[in-house]
Amino acid sequence: MNQAIALPRNTTRQAEALLHGEIARILHRITGAVVVIFVLVHVLAQAVLHAPALASLKAGAPWLPVLQSQHWIHAVLYFSIAFHTLYGLKLLAVDLGARLDYRRSLWVIIGLSAVIGIREVLRYAGI
Amino acid sequence: MSITVTAEIRRFDPSRDSEPRYDRFQVTGAENMRVLDVIRSIYEEQAGDLAFQFACRIGRCGTCAVRVNGTPVLACQERCKSHMRIEPLTPFPVLRDLVIDRSEIEERYAGLALAPSRETAHPGRPEPIDPKLAEHICHLDSCLACMVCVSACPAVEERPFDGPAFMLKLRQMAEHPADRTDRLQQAVGAGMLECFGCDVCTQLCPADLSPAQAIREFRKELLFGGRG
Repeated sequence: MNQAIALPRNTTRQAEALLHGEIARILHRITGAVVVIFVLVHVLAQAVLHAPALASLKAGAPWLPVLQSQHWIHAVLYFSIAFHTLYGLKLLAVDLGARLDYRRSLWVIIGLSAVIGIREVLRYAGI
Repeated sequence: MSITVTAEIRRFDPSRDSEPRYDRFQVTGAENMRVLDVIRSIYEEQAGDLAFQFACRIGRCGTCAVRVNGTPVLACQERCKSHMRIEPLTPFPVLRDLVIDRSEIEERYAGLALAPSRETAHPGRPEPIDPKLAEHICHLDSCLACMVCVSACPAVEERPFDGPAFMLKLRQMAEHPADRTDRLQQAVGAGMLECFGCDVCTQLCPADLSPAQAIREFRKELLFGGRG
C-alpha cells in the first residue's frame, strides 16, 4: 500500500528481457510432467523387475537395472521434485499474502533444486 | 552512433489479403531510436500504406503497443534492435497491419462498470479518505490500458481469462471505500482463478504496476474474506 504513483518506464528493452514468469511456468510444467512420467515408469519397471509373472519381460530387458542406476536420471528427478514442490509452495504462499519478489524467488528455487540434483550426482559418484 | 535496423512487419488487410505476410524494411537512424521511430520512418519513406497507431509518444497513452520479437511492448518506449519482427498485439482482432480492434476491450471495461457504485447518495462533498489508500488507488489508476499484459499473459492464451488489465481495474474499484459492488465476484467471473501467478504481466507492465499482485489480493480476499 505504499507505492509511489507510477510513471511510465522510459527506454525499455523488454523485447530482449528474460521473461522470468515464462521460465517459471514452463519449468513448473516440465518438472510436473517428469515427476508423473517417472512415477508411471517406476511402477512399471518395478513390476517387470520383481513380479514373477513378468520374468520373461525382465530377461528381455537387461538394460533396465542399468538405466535405473543412471545418476543423471536421479539428478533430473530430484531437481524436478524439488522445483515442482518449492515453486508450488511459493505460489501458495503468495496467494496467502506473502510478498516475494518473482525474480529472486525463481532463482532461489532453481538454485536450491539444482543443489539437490547435484547432490544426487555426487552421491552416486561416492563424493 | 547510427544503427541499421532490419524490421519485418506483419502486414494484413482483412478486406484485401487472404492471409498475413511479413514485409522486410531497413531503416538507418540513431542508435537510441525507439521502435516507434522505426515504424514512423518506414511509413514516411518506404510504405505509406502501413497502418499503425500512436498518440503521446511518451509512454502515457498505451496506443502504440505492438509485439516486438514476440514480446508485447510500447513502441514509443522500447529501444530498437538490429533485427525486429513487429506484429500487432495478440489475441485481438486486427483491423489492419499493426492496428488492433479495441472495441471488445472497451466493451469489457464498460461491462465491468468501473466507477464506484454507492449504497447511499453522494454527500455532495469529498469524503475523507486515508492518504495511504488514496495513494494506492492512484497507483492502480495509472494503468494505461495498453493491453501489453493481456497480450503477454499465458493464461489468456490457454484459459477463459479476460486478462490482468481487467483484474487490476477491478482491484482498484475493490479498494475504493465508496464502492459497494461485489468486485471479487466480478473478478471470479472474469476468470481470476485461471491466473498462473507467473508475474509476466508485472515484468512487462509499462507503468510498473503489478496486475498479478492485484489478483493475489483478490485470492486472499476469497480465502480469508474482507478487503485484501
